[in-house]
Amino acid sequence: MVNLTRRAFGIGAASVALGALSARMAAAQDVTIVVNGSGGSLAEVLKKLFEDPFTEQTGIKVRATAPVSLPKLKAMVESGNVEWDLTELNGDDVVLATKEGWLEEIDYSIVDPENELPEMAKLPTAMVRASYSTVLGFRTDRFPEDKQPKTWADFWDVENFPGPRSLENSPKCNLEFALLADGVPLDELYPLDVDRAFAKLDEIKDHIPVWWDNGAQHVQLLVDGEVNMTSCWNGRITPLKSEGRPVEISWAGGALLLSYLGIPKGAKHPTEAMQFMKFRMDPVASAEFVKVMPYPGFVPGMMELLEREFVATLPTAPENAEQQFAFNSSWWAENLEEVQNRWNEWLLI
Amino acid sequence: MTMRRPIILLLLAPAMLLVGLLFVAPLVGVMSLTVHDGTSFTAEPIRELLGSRVALVVLERTFMLAASVTAICLLLGYPAAYFMSTLRPRVRAYLTYLILLPFWVSILIRTYTWIVILGREGIVNTGLGALGLAPVKILYTNVAVHIGMVQILLPIVIITCLASMLDIDKDLMKAARSLGASPAQSFWKVFFPLSVSGAATGGLICFILSLGFFVTPALLGGRRSIIIANLIDLQVHQTLNWGFAAVLATALLAITLACLGVFWLLMRRRVEFSGAGLGR
Repeated sequence: MVNLTRRAFGIGAASVALGALSARMAAAQDVTIVVNGSGGSLAEVLKKLFEDPFTEQTGIKVRATAPVSLPKLKAMVESGNVEWDLTELNGDDVVLATKEGWLEEIDYSIVDPENELPEMAKLPTAMVRASYSTVLGFRTDRFPEDKQPKTWADFWDVENFPGPRSLENSPKCNLEFALLADGVPLDELYPLDVDRAFAKLDEIKDHIPVWWDNGAQHVQLLVDGEVNMTSCWNGRITPLKSEGRPVEISWAGGALLLSYLGIPKGAKHPTEAMQFMKFRMDPVASAEFVKVMPYPGFVPGMMELLEREFVATLPTAPENAEQQFAFNSSWWAENLEEVQNRWNEWLLI
Repeated sequence: MTMRRPIILLLLAPAMLLVGLLFVAPLVGVMSLTVHDGTSFTAEPIRELLGSRVALVVLERTFMLAASVTAICLLLGYPAAYFMSTLRPRVRAYLTYLILLPFWVSILIRTYTWIVILGREGIVNTGLGALGLAPVKILYTNVAVHIGMVQILLPIVIITCLASMLDIDKDLMKAARSLGASPAQSFWKVFFPLSVSGAATGGLICFILSLGFFVTPALLGGRRSIIIANLIDLQVHQTLNWGFAAVLATALLAITLACLGVFWLLMRRRVEFSGAGLGR
């Protein structure tokens, strides 16, 4: 372990001093790192913008795998057969995986040698990769122009905003949305009043024919007209809008979430994985990435490369961010098991 | 005979090795999770199962769903198989081909197709609307789950029933008729008892496959359509409670084996009974 850190540190220092030369040294080792992500169209974009150029520059090959899965990480670390060198993780997964000891410490002297990343993006075991929002999405053609749903209170108001709705099959975010609909202010959500949230959820339960499990499903539900409104991920709705579909999102009361990159405990190539993390911080490539996938990270210098009108459609744009609450991963990691069990009982029986 | 036994074992060895390594060993691993948490023995998962209302409700729901799907498959499949058994072999072969055709399409695709057909603005409701009728709510209900599952399992029931019906000597019914039995009597007293074991086997396969369904209830059902496989998935992926997932899986396996045992006992009596009946 001491050796590893020293080696990591050494390579980090060398790369600062010698630039591309150290990369060629790594190339001589003929290393392939396994990077686990969400897959799908996202994987193609990542390959073109980051993985192929990284291999070209350093000689380190990248193999992409999918999907993001905490149970798989647990199984890998516990069995000692760690396939991934780097994986995407959501916020409460990071908290849980760190508590369980499934993640390596990140050496920021390699990942961020110039110390450019904001502190909030740098957790000891994970680095912020992207931000995204779970927001209220709706069909604009199902409501009169002057009466489109805007808030979670509207979502709960089945008289004035009729029609079937959908929510995610998970207590995460839904408890927050229920409390917001019940009048709790944005900055007083946490710690969540679980009893009050479930009481509010009771009111909407029968108006929800289907509880979605993944991003593809909520897109399908909206596009097929199966529901008139649903909670949704902002990035899935942007492309629908540009296709001319009658869908819109409201940032009001949205959940601003962070997605991370972390290195599994016992990964075979942690140093190279950290080099790749550094490479992912390239502002030009990151700006190109955000244009296709509107999930911005905290890459310094990236926002300046984007058109102002486009930035206004991102979850982290100030006028959008101020309407949302920051999803509290720590609270959820602390309470997930108990709340999830209550959720299952509430939903399934 | 003594020479042949080693050869039989040798021929069986690759398949047994495959099943042993890839099925039995992982299964034992899963079952051990019900009493062992990786470091020490524990009774926690079993206590959790007995104390979990969700688990018991979902288990009951799973068996009720499997039973009703099996009943529908038999009610639809048995007459279809009987009809096919009366046809000329060439026509029958053609129909068999049509019945097996859906197997070439993945279950996932067939399930998604039902979403298109049964949805709020799907083909059925668009058609009803064109006829001036009110739309019906089918998708995300238990009705949709039944439709999706029956469509997948029906061919298995038909083929199993048909196979046993084709083994029945048709002259037996002619003999019954010549002795004065009405067509209904010759069917119920001769054909039906002889075909019942094939139908029961088809029903059993259908029942056991139903117990393990996952995709169809998840995609076509509502919140109350969740069955045991979905609950196990939830424990593996959401709560990471693998001990509980293992105990649910083991309970499902145990109850399925118990059903198999009961079926086996019943069938043995049935065979003895119908054998005696034939001898008389």
